[in-house]
Amino acid sequence: MLDTPTDPSIIPAMSSVDRTIALIPAHNEAATVGNIVTQICSLWRCPVVVIDDCSTDNTVQIARAAGASVLPLAIQLGAWGAIQTGLRYALRQGFRTAVTLDADGQHEPQDIGALLCPLMTGEADVAIGAFPERASRARRLAWSYFRFLTGLELEDITSGFRAYNHTAMTALASREASLLDYQDVGVLLILRRRGLRSVEVPVSMQPRAIGGSKIFRSWWVVGKYMLQTSLLCLARVGRNPAPSSADD
Amino acid sequence: MFTYQLTSMAIGIAVALIILFLVRRDRLHGPYAIWWIGVAATVALLGFFPRLFDWLATQLGISYPPILAIVLGFGLLLLKILTMDLERSRQERLIRRLAQRLAMLEAQDPLAPSEPRAPQATDRTEQ
Repeated sequence: MLDTPTDPSIIPAMSSVDRTIALIPAHNEAATVGNIVTQICSLWRCPVVVIDDCSTDNTVQIARAAGASVLPLAIQLGAWGAIQTGLRYALRQGFRTAVTLDADGQHEPQDIGALLCPLMTGEADVAIGAFPERASRARRLAWSYFRFLTGLELEDITSGFRAYNHTAMTALASREASLLDYQDVGVLLILRRRGLRSVEVPVSMQPRAIGGSKIFRSWWVVGKYMLQTSLLCLARVGRNPAPSSADD
Repeated sequence: MFTYQLTSMAIGIAVALIILFLVRRDRLHGPYAIWWIGVAATVALLGFFPRLFDWLATQLGISYPPILAIVLGFGLLLLKILTMDLERSRQERLIRRLAQRLAMLEAQDPLAPSEPRAPQATDRTEQ
């Protein structure tokens, strides 16, 4: 399905990929969502699904006009709830690989190929598009704190630019993952518990076209997020033994 | 002038009647109704025989019986609130899954998909 990669070096790998879907959670992203959908459709010719998290602007109409299927959520579930909707939908429709992107234009659709490579070679079950340089000092501090708590060895824990293979999609579509609120530490911990391998792929990232981070926007929200995520990490202590080298 | 016995009886009966009324009106779902019928019975019993606590406290070696009532009451309230939050979390999960399923059912295909998708039945067999 991905038959027009921009990077010729990944053409051989591309031919082995079929049934890939792009998932974009969107909440009031009318300004940027159309452009992203158009870019993905023209670059990769894969189906694009926009999960509308109760937008009040015309995100739905724009996404649909740009060529995306739209899953309209009746109640606001947050970014992770929206992505899980997309994953469940993708599994139902028989897709084997899912790529998630933010709707705010941060992620470059041409990097999707690089993200899919580790999945196609069987090197990993999940590829995370990482751009640690984007982070502020506070955010880096938060990441190192969560790395310390969880033992995860990933740089960009909160990146929403990811590719999941079928096993990872199934794991994350489960009921267990439905009470998570963010696509970050909790998701990574579930993947690790299931013995799935995550790798980071360096990608370029655009500054957000409009609006700031959903999480790092006020001290109150940051505090709540840090507390909730710390608790999540601590509640899983001992339930997530890091896979030994023998397992890999 | 009321005696403390009468006051206690009045409170016990009032609480028990309110609960029974709500249960009869079908305002409380099965498992909750059972818990609250139990509460109604206990409140009525203690309303009629408030000295039961004095007796129980003596058996347990508590020198000031009213504190037993307070501690037991608090403990049961905590237990009840904990089970309420467990139930709320269960319902939250359920609601999220339902909203997701609804969104999947309401999915609308784009005007011009890049490739026609195979029917769902075929997709299932591919998995």
